[in-house]
Amino acid sequence: MGVTLSGAGATFPYPFYSIVFRDYMRKNPGVRVNYGAIGSGGGIRSLRDKSVDFAASDAFLNEKETASMGAEVVHIPTCMGGVVLSYTLSGVDSLRLTGELIADIFMGKITRWNDPRLAAENPNVRFPDLEITPVYRSDGSGTTFVFSEYLNKVSPEWNREMGTGKALKWKAGLAAKGNPGVASIVQLTEGAIGYVGSEYALTLQMPSALLKNKAGNYVKATLETISAAAETDLSDDMKLTLTDMPHPHAYPISMLTWLLVYEDQTYCGHSRQEAEVLVDLLNYIIGPDGQKLAAQVNYVPLPLRAVQKTQRIINRIHFAGEKLSTAPDPEIAIVNVLSETETVGDHEKTVLHEKSLVDER
Amino acid sequence: MSDRVKFSNVKKRAAKDKIVFGLVCLFSFLAMIPLFLIIWEVVSKGYKNFNWRLFTQVAPSSMDALLAKMSGEPIPGGILNGITGTILIVGMAVLFTIPLGLFVGIYLSEHPENKFARTVSYLTDLLQGMPSIVIGIIAYIWVVKPLRSYSALAGSVALTIMMLPMVVRSTEETLKMLPRTLKESGLALGASYTSVVFRVILPSGFGGIFTGILLAVSRVMGETAPLMLTALGAAVVNWNILKPTSAIPLLIWDFYNDPNLVDIIWSASLLLLIVIFLLNWIAKIVARRWKI
Amino acid sequence: MKDKIFKGLLFAAALAILLLTAGVIYVLVKQSLDVFHEYGVFGFIFNAEWDPRPETEEYGAWSFIIGTLFTAFFALLLCIPFSLPVALFNGEYFKGYKISSFVSSVVDLLAGIPSIVYGLWGFYTLRPIVIQLGVNAQGFGIFLASIVLAVMIIPYASSLSAEFLSMIPDTVKEGAYSLGATRAETIRHVSLPMASSGIVAAYILALGRALGETMAVTMLIGNTTNVPTSLRDTGNTMASVIANQFGEADGLKLSALIGIGLLLFLITAVINLIAKFIMKKLSVR
Repeated sequence: MGVTLSGAGATFPYPFYSIVFRDYMRKNPGVRVNYGAIGSGGGIRSLRDKSVDFAASDAFLNEKETASMGAEVVHIPTCMGGVVLSYTLSGVDSLRLTGELIADIFMGKITRWNDPRLAAENPNVRFPDLEITPVYRSDGSGTTFVFSEYLNKVSPEWNREMGTGKALKWKAGLAAKGNPGVASIVQLTEGAIGYVGSEYALTLQMPSALLKNKAGNYVKATLETISAAAETDLSDDMKLTLTDMPHPHAYPISMLTWLLVYEDQTYCGHSRQEAEVLVDLLNYIIGPDGQKLAAQVNYVPLPLRAVQKTQRIINRIHFAGEKLSTAPDPEIAIVNVLSETETVGDHEKTVLHEKSLVDER
Repeated sequence: MSDRVKFSNVKKRAAKDKIVFGLVCLFSFLAMIPLFLIIWEVVSKGYKNFNWRLFTQVAPSSMDALLAKMSGEPIPGGILNGITGTILIVGMAVLFTIPLGLFVGIYLSEHPENKFARTVSYLTDLLQGMPSIVIGIIAYIWVVKPLRSYSALAGSVALTIMMLPMVVRSTEETLKMLPRTLKESGLALGASYTSVVFRVILPSGFGGIFTGILLAVSRVMGETAPLMLTALGAAVVNWNILKPTSAIPLLIWDFYNDPNLVDIIWSASLLLLIVIFLLNWIAKIVARRWKI
Repeated sequence: MKDKIFKGLLFAAALAILLLTAGVIYVLVKQSLDVFHEYGVFGFIFNAEWDPRPETEEYGAWSFIIGTLFTAFFALLLCIPFSLPVALFNGEYFKGYKISSFVSSVVDLLAGIPSIVYGLWGFYTLRPIVIQLGVNAQGFGIFLASIVLAVMIIPYASSLSAEFLSMIPDTVKEGAYSLGATRAETIRHVSLPMASSGIVAAYILALGRALGETMAVTMLIGNTTNVPTSLRDTGNTMASVIANQFGEADGLKLSALIGIGLLLFLITAVINLIAKFIMKKLSVR
């Protein structure tokens, strides 16, 4: 008797999930895992209706959503990613930006590339006198959520005027549907700048800006810098945002993406067998095999302490009171926040064309 | 003098006639251009990855595509799970739609003055204008929620709702155009109403009815939004109607969102176009054979 | 006896459609109650504000209603000069000839192209042309979306119209010819009026398709929440705003989106009523 698991949710992690599920199915014949990239909201609704076994979301549940679920839902982070500022500007190979500059660009307060504030940040660059075309997401998206959450932290004006959310009331620029939409417009429009999911930008090797992080360093989005953002105090339920993190190598717009499941797996229409396979799948995803796959398609594996915290969360999932996970509770390593990052996966097959990791002033 | 006036009038009218004919030909030709442009775009971008594997292998994962790209090979895998899914979902929808749509169309054409019939005809037109995503929402509430699972069945229900208006209305209007004598002479010969319908009326109206069905099927084969909310998608071939299933447009959506798989959109679309072309061709042959 | 059963089945089928539509309306109303409760029916319809931020939520459907009507009717207008000639070509002039088979197959294929492919074609091929024509700076907008919509609905209008035209008995037409009428005059005074009821139905089908089209429009219309006032503007249609925001929506926003779906239904109802009125006038003659 085969087991079929279904999940639905965000489009951002879809390429990673399609690979890791396929891998899991190969190693466990008789198990089928289906995933539909219908958007985080769709995933959450489906989980609430119990028409799927797990949901995928780039933003953790807020209070209202949590209350509406009816039962305790745990958040399992599966990998990390980031939001990249991609641009098309001939003659400009390297662009430095700060959070405030980005906020002002997307609020329509900085309208031309040769604005003195951009020049001040980029002393070695000659900017053309060209209009800036900001490109944003027309569809509700977790990428927008993380982007706006970051700008909320670093720009008081953004906080006041724009706020945080999966969809915003934009004042300037063009709208496009999905990562591919934004990427296409940016690539085809001279002077355009848009925010794109990191795996997308890294895979297509789109030119991206170096952002000044909290520690004052200019950082590009890479597997290492995004991972560094998780080198901080992690909450036990892993419901946290990783923007503007203190690590000196941290990429400022980093994010986690989660799979959501019910902590108590005894609900109508869900068998014990399904619950066991589900937990086994989750363990697989955060285990070394799963995380290695993530790196291979430009998703960022979870650093060690994140994995350990996550393992503890998975171990809480139960069926009628019985713990389902076969993995032991790990001792959370006490790691100095400023030490080098340790990742579970390896980066051998990185596709990236590595440029300098950190641009020190 | 009156002869000359008549003569020039005839010339003017003949000239008008020729102009109209010319315009009809010109604009018909122009109407075909977008199709050739689109076909050109789809073919030129899609032929690279178009091969036997498209039919025999399931959709590739992001990594398969990435590795292939790096070594300059065509992307492996195919869209078999999408093909079987589309066959299953659209097939079931057609099974649901044809009897229901035909019967309603017959009923409506038989009772044109009846208030009830007019209301039903009107409501059918309303269904036509519904955005596919709203139909998807409704099918989700009616089928997915109670079953607690995404399924091919839910997808078929959604597609049925989308196809019904076209089949009903084209059947109704086609049968309305048939001369009443056709039915009356059949009945006068003592045949039962049922046999007159099945042996005389339906065959006579076959052309219009078939066109309506064909348009309906062609339309729903390319629909993404309702299937996202009902069939969800699957990475493997699935024939179980109560489980999530893939479909060609769902795969195209998946590929669109994946930077490594974007190139196969065109191959999948090319396949879809070929299937629809074949459908049309077969339909034309069948219609010609059956037409009285 | 067999007839009774058969006629009963016919009636049951028609009843099923009635129940189906009633069911659809019921679901839409139930899910959208929240937003109508919040703003009142007219408050929601005529409000052009759309603010999805959690703190300052406000939803109004007006921008999208205008966007929908604008694109659908403009698309219909654009499609008539192409679908009518094609219908005449296939149903009248070249009826039965091989070339008509070819032309009608080609045009019917337009109906089979998935909307996402239309979107991609519009994006890659048409958009640069629109920019070149100087319509607006980024190409997206009402103009581009309407053009693609027009192409999409041509086959719906032309195929059925052609069928109805071809069903006109030759005897009627020959009567006109014997009176000295030219082909064009026969078409204008005999064929078109006779098939008018069906032709209008075909165009309503096409309009319905345009009103409900989601994917292609959403990729080309610019997705902004302003009220579009000219062809150069970007905007949004009711179907595309639902498609865009549905994936992430919940609570009041979800209710607002479904409310928009209900409004679209109502708009289609009104348009159809008007069309039925026109059709009645045409068949009386």
